[in-house]
Amino acid sequence: MKKIEILRIDSLNRSPLIVEGYLFEGCDPTAPSVAIVGAMEGTTILPLYTASKLVDFLKNSLDDEKKLRGNILVIPSINHYALNINERFWPLDKTDINMMFPGYGEGETTQRIAKKLFDALQGYTHGIILETREGVSTCMPYIKLFESGYENIDAAKMFGYRLIHHKTLKPTDTVSLQYNWQLWGTSAYSLICPSDLHVELHTSNEVFEGIISFLGKCGIIDYKVLSGYESTIVKNSDVEVIQTAKSGIFIPTKKIGSYVKKDEIIGKVIHALEGEVIHKILSPCNGLIACAYKNGLILENAVAFRVVKSG
Amino acid sequence: MQTTEIFSSQLPVGEILSIKRGRYEPKQKQANAKRISIVSGTHGDELEGQYVIYLLSKWLKENPDAINGIIDLYPAVNALGIDTITRGFPIYEVDLNRAFPGNKRDFLPGQLVHALAMDIKGSDIAIDIHSSNIFLKEIPQIRINKEFSPSTLPLAKKLNCDFIWIHDAVTVLEATFSHTMNQMGTKTLVVEMGVGMTLTQVYGQQLLSGILNLMKSEGIITTDQEFEQREPFSSEVGDVFYINSPSAGLFVQSIKHCAIIKKGDVIGTIVDPLSGEVRDTLEAPSGGILFTLREFPVVYEGSLIARIFGENDEKN
Ligand SMILES: [Zn+2]
Repeated sequence: MKKIEILRIDSLNRSPLIVEGYLFEGCDPTAPSVAIVGAMEGTTILPLYTASKLVDFLKNSLDDEKKLRGNILVIPSINHYALNINERFWPLDKTDINMMFPGYGEGETTQRIAKKLFDALQGYTHGIILETREGVSTCMPYIKLFESGYENIDAAKMFGYRLIHHKTLKPTDTVSLQYNWQLWGTSAYSLICPSDLHVELHTSNEVFEGIISFLGKCGIIDYKVLSGYESTIVKNSDVEVIQTAKSGIFIPTKKIGSYVKKDEIIGKVIHALEGEVIHKILSPCNGLIACAYKNGLILENAVAFRVVKSG
Repeated sequence: MQTTEIFSSQLPVGEILSIKRGRYEPKQKQANAKRISIVSGTHGDELEGQYVIYLLSKWLKENPDAINGIIDLYPAVNALGIDTITRGFPIYEVDLNRAFPGNKRDFLPGQLVHALAMDIKGSDIAIDIHSSNIFLKEIPQIRINKEFSPSTLPLAKKLNCDFIWIHDAVTVLEATFSHTMNQMGTKTLVVEMGVGMTLTQVYGQQLLSGILNLMKSEGIITTDQEFEQREPFSSEVGDVFYINSPSAGLFVQSIKHCAIIKKGDVIGTIVDPLSGEVRDTLEAPSGGILFTLREFPVVYEGSLIARIFGENDEKN
């Protein structure tokens, strides 16, 4: 294993931001390679935790170096500055590094960070980006692939997660790492992690096992993996977006990952000052709860749940 | 003036989020009356537009007989953000000017921008007033997407601004207010001026004259008053030079904003308070007009310090 410096940014009063990658060199030059990008933003833990666990796994759990076939680069954190002070984005100007790609070496600070990172990520067969959902929601682990014309759905199935969201491309997606990485020839996948603020062992293991499954099935590591799910491809039209009619205190009564029936109560909203139930949230269809609002206070018309339709 | 709520949402704890429009109309309804919409506060840390809309509303109130068309005022698009010094939409941390066109089924920021776009739809002209951010100070300028410039550039020249910046189409900017409205057939101009969290009164007066001048030439107001119309520099006839900080430190200005400068003039220094040393001295790479200058002193490598517009003959 080699530690390589990806980038360094100085600060007026903080110690320098030094982003390092852990490069594990495989023994088979014909094997596919992969780069894994961890936390680009703060206020979540799983992208960081998963990437750091992976460094430990590759260092200590492959008992024979022959088992490492292709090159693996893991960059657990890009944005230490945000993580250390519980900010979500770049702390000075609140810009999102994942909206700065392909980056620009002569530009603003986060454009420069994106450029240096992007340069270090070139030439890999596969690319995994550990992300969390935008907005105030959390979800079961899934793969997000843009309908960009370059996406590799078959390979995305090798993670063995239940869902692959094959997502319509929005204008703002064109400056994301996934889209640009694909444009430059790497099969890139966004692994959307639950937006937990703490490490919950059950879900974090699920995220982690998916990556190991991918590495094994792609032949990047020689490692026996147990099969996961046969992933379902989900288009935007397969998802029921359930909004609350009322704002107030939000109490989900069904968990993410559970199957629900049409008209089943899956959550309720309580009057924030008087305590009574002012709205019951019913599932409009049979399906699987993939996503839920994560805060205790919910806004009117906010998306409370996303249910993937079944039946 | 008639006030209408164009979007409202009950917040969780005893408060209603309300986005308002003020409308001035001619005393007698007129067939074919033109409609102009003036928008500000999409970014909660930008306040200059609020002042301009105040001045405009005051003028219209004092000159009711001048009104020939419909003038819609939307001073506070990100009302929650403005009252809480938050640039994006609070809770979601979303830039509202990257959330257009939105839709009714979208999350709250998306519903809000959708309601705004639907309300403004049908206007002949829209002006979206921004005031940079808390980091940079801008001279009054118009930003125009090349794609729409044939229809918007003639209007921009009437707005009494100092600079017109015509930029290429960028996909990510399709999620902005101006792109959405231009595509729906409303000629939309983006004004950038001043700096975040501040009111620059002279700029407010300057843009007020420009808006009145534009409305007069479009027949939306009729008055004997004359309004100033400066001849703006246009990026068509020159180049924009960027100066980004080469190092981290404290930026100390050596020059006044908006100054005409020569190549090699010192714009400022990056200093280190602890050691008392100057880390870098920043010189102008070209002569021209300094139309952007950093106000917020803390910088990292890459932080934008200044932008200079140099006309072609200046460069040689
Ligand atoms: Zn703005």
